[in-house]
Formats: sequence, C-alpha cells, structure tokens
Amino acid sequence: MTALLEVRNLRKRFGGIRALDDVSLEVRANEAVGLIGPNGAGKTTLFDCISGVQRADRGRVDLAGERIDDLGVYRRARLGIGRTFQRLELFSAMTAREHMLVAERERRGDGSLLKDLLWKGAPRRDEIARVDELLDELGLEELADAPIESLSLGQGRLVELGRALMRGPRLLLLDEPSSGLDSLESARLAALLRDICERRQIATLVVEHDLELVHSLAQRVYVMDFGSIIGAGTLEDVLGESSVRRAYLGDEV
Amino acid sequence: MSQALSYAIPGLPYGCVFALLGMGLVLTYQTSDVFNLAFGAQAYASAVVFFIVVRDGWPVWAGFLVAVVFGAPLLGALLQAVLYRHVRTQPPLVKLVASLGMLIAIPAVLEVAFGADQLINPPSLWLSPSAIYLHAAGATIDGTELSTVVVTAAVALLLSLMFHFTQIGLRMQAMAESPRMVSLAGVNAEGVGLASWMLSSFLAGLAGVMLAPAFGGLQSISFTDLLVAAVAAAAAGSLKSLPWTFFGGILLGVAEELLSGYLPSGEILSSGLRPAFPFVVLLGLLVFLPRLRKRWARSDDPLAGCDPPPAPLSSSTGGPLFRRASRGTIVLLAGAFVASTMTWISGSWVFTITEMLVFAIVFLSIVLLTGMSGQISLCQAAFVGVGAFTAGQLADHFGLSIIVGMFLAGAASAAVGVVVALPSLRLGGLALALATLAFGLLADNIGFQYSWSGNGQSGINVPRPQLASINFTSNRAYFLLVFVVLCVCIAVVRAVARGTTGRQLAALGGSELAAASIGINPARLKIIVFALSAGIAGVGGALYASLDGSVSSSDFNTLISLVLVVVIAIVGVSSIEGAIEAGVAYVLLNTVLTNDLPTQYSSLLELAFGAGVIVYVLHPEGVVEVSKRFVLDHLRRQPDGNGLAT
Ligand SMILES: Nc1ncnc2c1ncn2[C@@H]1O[C@H](COP(=O)(O)OP(=O)(O)O)[C@@H](O)[C@H]1O
Ligand SMILES: [Mg+2]
Repeated sequence: MTALLEVRNLRKRFGGIRALDDVSLEVRANEAVGLIGPNGAGKTTLFDCISGVQRADRGRVDLAGERIDDLGVYRRARLGIGRTFQRLELFSAMTAREHMLVAERERRGDGSLLKDLLWKGAPRRDEIARVDELLDELGLEELADAPIESLSLGQGRLVELGRALMRGPRLLLLDEPSSGLDSLESARLAALLRDICERRQIATLVVEHDLELVHSLAQRVYVMDFGSIIGAGTLEDVLGESSVRRAYLGDEV
Repeated sequence: MSQALSYAIPGLPYGCVFALLGMGLVLTYQTSDVFNLAFGAQAYASAVVFFIVVRDGWPVWAGFLVAVVFGAPLLGALLQAVLYRHVRTQPPLVKLVASLGMLIAIPAVLEVAFGADQLINPPSLWLSPSAIYLHAAGATIDGTELSTVVVTAAVALLLSLMFHFTQIGLRMQAMAESPRMVSLAGVNAEGVGLASWMLSSFLAGLAGVMLAPAFGGLQSISFTDLLVAAVAAAAAGSLKSLPWTFFGGILLGVAEELLSGYLPSGEILSSGLRPAFPFVVLLGLLVFLPRLRKRWARSDDPLAGCDPPPAPLSSSTGGPLFRRASRGTIVLLAGAFVASTMTWISGSWVFTITEMLVFAIVFLSIVLLTGMSGQISLCQAAFVGVGAFTAGQLADHFGLSIIVGMFLAGAASAAVGVVVALPSLRLGGLALALATLAFGLLADNIGFQYSWSGNGQSGINVPRPQLASINFTSNRAYFLLVFVVLCVCIAVVRAVARGTTGRQLAALGGSELAAASIGINPARLKIIVFALSAGIAGVGGALYASLDGSVSSSDFNTLISLVLVVVIAIVGVSSIEGAIEAGVAYVLLNTVLTNDLPTQYSSLLELAFGAGVIVYVLHPEGVVEVSKRFVLDHLRRQPDGNGLAT
C-alpha cells in the first residue's frame, strides 16, 4: 500500500540556515504520526513545505501518489491537506461559528458569486447543523458567537482545528496544538483528536512538545534536529536512542 | 554624454530632497511601524513657517531655527504623541488613515491660516537662488541647487556618524530590529521612538525649506508630490537600509530629469509621466522585489507575537427584535425621505441630496473592498472617473443615454479594476495601497488627459438622460433615478456580504494564509472584489457626471481618492449605513459648508477633519459603530434599571 503523504529529500535554506536538510518521511492513511524536536529544528518549515506556504528548494511531496509540490496552498487544501498554525491565524472579525461556516462551504464547493447575487448565498440549514455538531464536539458551543479576540489561546487553537476539520481533510497537520493549554486541557485535547481522527478517518502529523500527548495520540514518531530526521519509530524506541536523547533532551549520555 | 549630464545635474537637488524624506520614512517606519505619508506635508509646513518668519523681517538664521531646528521636530513629536503612538498595533488601514489624514489636514490648516496665494518667491536658506555659481557640462547650477546638494551631503555624513558612534543612533538601530527587545533590555523605547520622529521631521523640514525656492511659490501639492518620490526611495532601500534609500533618492531625482529631458516635450505622456514616474518605479520595485513585499506585508520582529492582536473592525449587532425594529424604521425613514424630496424640499437641496446619494454609491464601493475584505485601494476616484468618462463619451459621441451608459461605465471600471488587481495580487496592506496609489496617479496625470478620455482640465459635457416621457433634467426625477440605483447597489453589496463571497472576503481580510489553507483561492477572490468594487464606483461615476452636466480630470484627482478613504474610515468602513452617512457627511462638508459659510469658518472644516482622524485612531470601528454601540448599551441597560451597578 502506498503512503498517503510521501515526503522525499526536501531541502530548504534561509540564507545560511539549513532549515530542512534532506528530509524524507511518510504518513499512511488513517495513521497518527508525531514529529518532535527542539525549537528551530525545522518542524514548522516542514509543515510549510507540505502545505505549500513555502516552496522547498529541492525534493518532492506526494499526496496519495500525486505530486503536489508545485501547487499553491489552496490547491493542496482542496486535495485534502488541512493544517493549523503555530502562531494563530484566525479570521479576525469573524466568530468561531463563521470560521466553521466558511470552511464547510469550501468543502462543498457549491458557492458562487452568481448564487450570492440571486440571494441564495446564506448558510443553509444542513450546513448550520453540521457546524453546530462540530462546535459541540470541540466544546465551543458556548463561544460560537463570541468575538474571536475574546477567546483564549487554547480556545483559538480549537477554532483552528475545527476550521481545518470542517474542510474535510484527508491529512491534518497540527503545529503544537497543546501550547497554551494546561495539562488537563491537553489530555482532553488528545482524547478528542484521537476520537475525531479515528471516526472521520483522517491521518494526522502532529508537531508537539508535550510527549504525553504525543504518546497517547501517535503510533510512531519522527525526531528532527538541525533540519534533519535523526530518529524514527515508536516514542519509546526513539527516546531510547542516545543521539535523540542528546539532541532533544540535552542528556549527557 | 554631455547632454545627458546637462539633463542629469539639475536632478541632483531633487534627488537630495527625495533622499532626505526617504530616510525619514525609513527611520520612523523602523522604529514605530508607521509609514508616515505626511512627511511631504511637514516639509511644506516648515517651508511656510520659514517664509512667514523671514518675510516679517527676522534674519534667515532665526527663521531656520524656528522653522527647522525647533519647529519641525516639535511637529513630529506632537504627531507621534497625539496620533501615531496609538496606531502601532492597529491594522494597516488605521495606520494609513492616520498619516493620510495629516497629509490632508496639515496643508489645509496652513493654507487657511496664511493664505496660499501670497506665498510666492520663498526666501532661500543659504545661497541666492538667482545667482549661478557653477557651470558644469553645459548645465548651470544656481544657489538653491548648490546649497541643497552641499547641505544634504553634510547631513548624510552626520547621520552615518550618529548611527555608528552615538548611543541614541545605536539604539535606533536596535529598535529597528525589535522594539520589544529594546524595551526588554531596559531602554526607554518610547523615548527612542520619539527621538526618531523628531530627527525624521527635522529632515523633512530641512528638505522643505531648502527646495522651496525651486518651486517659485509655496503650494502644498508640490510638496505632496515630493513624498511620492520619497516613498520610492524608501522602497529602493527595502524600507530598511538608509544608505540604499539615500542613493535610491538621488538616482530617482536624476532619472526623473533625464526622462523629462529626453521625452518629447509638450505631449501628455511626457508631462504626465514625470509626476507619476517615481510611482512607476515603486510599482516595479513592489512587484519584482520579493524581499520588499514581505517586509511590507508583515513585520518580522521576532517578538511580534507578543503584541496584542489588532482590534477587530467588526460591527455590533443587537438582538433579533432590535434588528427587526431598526429595519422597519429604516424603511419608514427612507419612504418619508423620498416623499419629502419629491415634494416640498427646495430644488437646490434636491440637487445636494442627490449628490449625497451619488457619493453614497462611491463609498459603498469602498465598504465592499476595504470594509469587507480589508484590501485598501487609494485609486477609487480613478475608478469613478473611468465610469464617468465612459458614460460621458458614449453620451457625447453616440447620444447614448446614461441610463444605458451607466452599465457600460460599470463594466469598463470593473475591467480596469481587474487590470489594477492583477499586478497587485501578491501585495497586501500598505504595499497594495501604495501600488493602487501609483495607478491612481497614472490615471490622473496621463489616462484622463486625452480628448478621448477625460479631456484634461477642460473636461466633457454629459447631458442628463431622457427615458420615454420622463426628462431627467428635472432634479427631482434625477434624484429618483439615483435613489433607485443606490438601492440596487446596496442590494448587491448585501447579497455579496451574506453569501459565500462575503464570508470568503472576510476570511481573506482576516488571514490570507488561513483562507488559502481551507481552499480559498486568494488571487481569484481579489480580482472579483476589485472588479465588483470598481464596477460600483464606475456606476457612481456615470451618475455623478450627468448630475453636474460636466466633468473633468480634476474631479477625480488622486487627492480625492485619499480624502474618500479617510472619510469613510472615520465614519465607519464596515457597514452599509457607513457608506450612506459618509456620503452625507462628505457632501455637507465639501459643498455646503465651504460654499455657504463665510470664509473665516472654513478652517473649521480642516480642524474637523484632523479631529476626526484622531477620534478614528482611538476608535477604529468608526463613528457609526461607536454611536450604535453607545445607543445599544444604553437600551440594554434600561430594562433592569441597574446600569450603574455594573
Ligand atoms: N522565514 C524565515 N526566514 C528565515 N529563517 C527562517 C524562516 N522561517 C524559519 N527560519 C529558520 O529556520 C529554522 C527552522 O525554523 P522552524 O521551522 O520554525 O523550527 P521549529 O518549528 O522546529 O521550531 C530556524 O532556525 C528559523 O530561524
Ligand atoms: Mg515551529
């Protein structure tokens, strides 16, 4: 079986910095994979190259056997790549519900300017129902109509997650979903993510510093440092490797 | 070769002034994140003060002290303290409107205070403007030119020493990297910011006083045009590097003179290209210099994430009952309004009211573009002009009634909107605003000057239409036509706002990156919204042309674009009511107050404008939203009667 996401020999430089240095990894359908590594390792840059925010200097990215690395962000999103952002990218001046509604309409892809002008553009009943269902699942129903600026960082991350889910992705890239949450909240988030991704059959690649969350969510992990993958396998195996311990935990082994 | 030199040398002093202003722009942009388009106006202010003081018999050195050494930094410090300090973390529109407001208000206040007409033959700072000091390669160099070059060179030297060797200079450089880092290091960031404002304003004042004799008379518009070139110089330095900005400015001054030397004189293209040339350069830099685009799109301060997010420009909504009640009230009011206008209101007022509605249509186009999707256009008057001249020429040559012509005008403007949007697709925020400004200047100086388009200052005549037995030369009939068109435009904007496109636009305005991450195609959406907005503006233009009976290029000059954006921003850019109220306010201020009040009150207008900008900076959601929220809060508090307790 071919992998859902296949990254081959990606390379990306910023001036003299090698943010990605020959990175290869793969994610199979319905699989949850962790990506760990110290700050500045190149994790966010890798996400950017997969989702199209940045173009890699070299290498290729395939989604379900189809080469995607020359497509724009929105084309990749339409092919099934959803993501959240380490530094929140919310739609200011829109409520949480509106975030979901616009994503739901994009998923259906049946909106057009012509329909708007014929006064048929407003959210339909079934769209609102689906959105409400997801808001419930995420525990955002109380905050659905609050101004987005009044949400906490953790709630903002949930809105980003909901927006990405509403778009109906095949692969979800989560960039530090638990930062800004306390340990209880992040345990809840782990359960929620596991549940949602299993039920909706979504593969996830998650960047996370909270190893507890990674452990409960991901079947296997990749470890990055200085732009390279320095380890892969189950979390236990990987943390046993001395090179990883040195890079990631700063252990003197 | 020597001919080229003889063209190039007179460009040097201009280049020096561009360089000084450009460095001021870069300096303040780096330390306080505000792109101060008002430096041209500040240069003008110093030149005027210098003129007045010297005319009143003070020695030149005293005038220099008052106007440049103390006056200019004081003005800069004042602007920073009252205005710009508040906009640092606000969205691009707020920053832009703050500086545009000052660009318009400062010269207006000065002109009212000192009378623009009497300011001819400004005194020179140092060497006599009429004496020829040097002959080089066939060019003569007069006192103004020589002193400008010498003083600028000295200032550049002092600046570079300051940045390398003094503490305040080093701190300014650190501040440019990250203001938050500087405050964390225990340095008074506000103080350093203030110092950079004073220094930049000093440079602007110096530039203004030095160049004034070259203009012959003091007119604010020549100084505003200077800024256009300064922006291009700053862009040449990627808004970062002072040396590159300096050389960019010099090069631009020289290139401008070379261009006007070699282009055939007396043709529209050559006379119009000169004022627009710096912006053509800017447009090129913006489109082809990715580093600059990035720099302008978002700040790259490593600690920028610590800033509070910009305040939302959302609109307040009451409960459903309130909404239904207010909708009923609006329909009733509109009915009463139409009935009164058709019957008892006097003819000249009907004309004025119609003009308000026409401008409401124009403002509606800005609400759609800027309010709903956050894209800033500084060439909206040019879109209006394209519509006006399309309908006008069709009426003139083919006898086409503007009732039909209006649709073609909308289509023509929409097409131009697409043309403007295409090169701007990868620009956002301030960069987009400046690119559209460049287009506006081109349209104004070149596009509208041909006899087949706007016919320049002489303009074209546009007769009122006739439909079956209704003759629209009657003001009441024409009012009704405009009212109907306005209602249709409102319906279109509302339909877009509540539909898929409206939500996509809001998403795009909120975060282009995130919008793309859910599959929205930003490029396509920008083209659509520019076309729609320009189309509506074009329809407004057709109605405007026929209302007055004649239009010329000066009805749609670039300054008007700027005023339009500032007015709608102050009133409220995020709602349809805002457009209507802005139309009323604009026409009231523009025609009624200026024509009907004695002249000594006309300074009230400029003061109101300046005050409006200050209020706006504190309440970026606009006057309409602020007052609506006030009323809503008031209503909500009434029932339980314990408003004071909370
Ligand atoms: N736009 C950029 N310009 C220059 N350098 C960058 C840029 N984005 C990331 N980098 C650099 O690339 C490296 C990897 O960064 P990043 O991918 O954000 O790491 P991580 O997400 O693992 O913390 C860092 O050294 C960072 O400074
Ligand atoms: Mg990261």
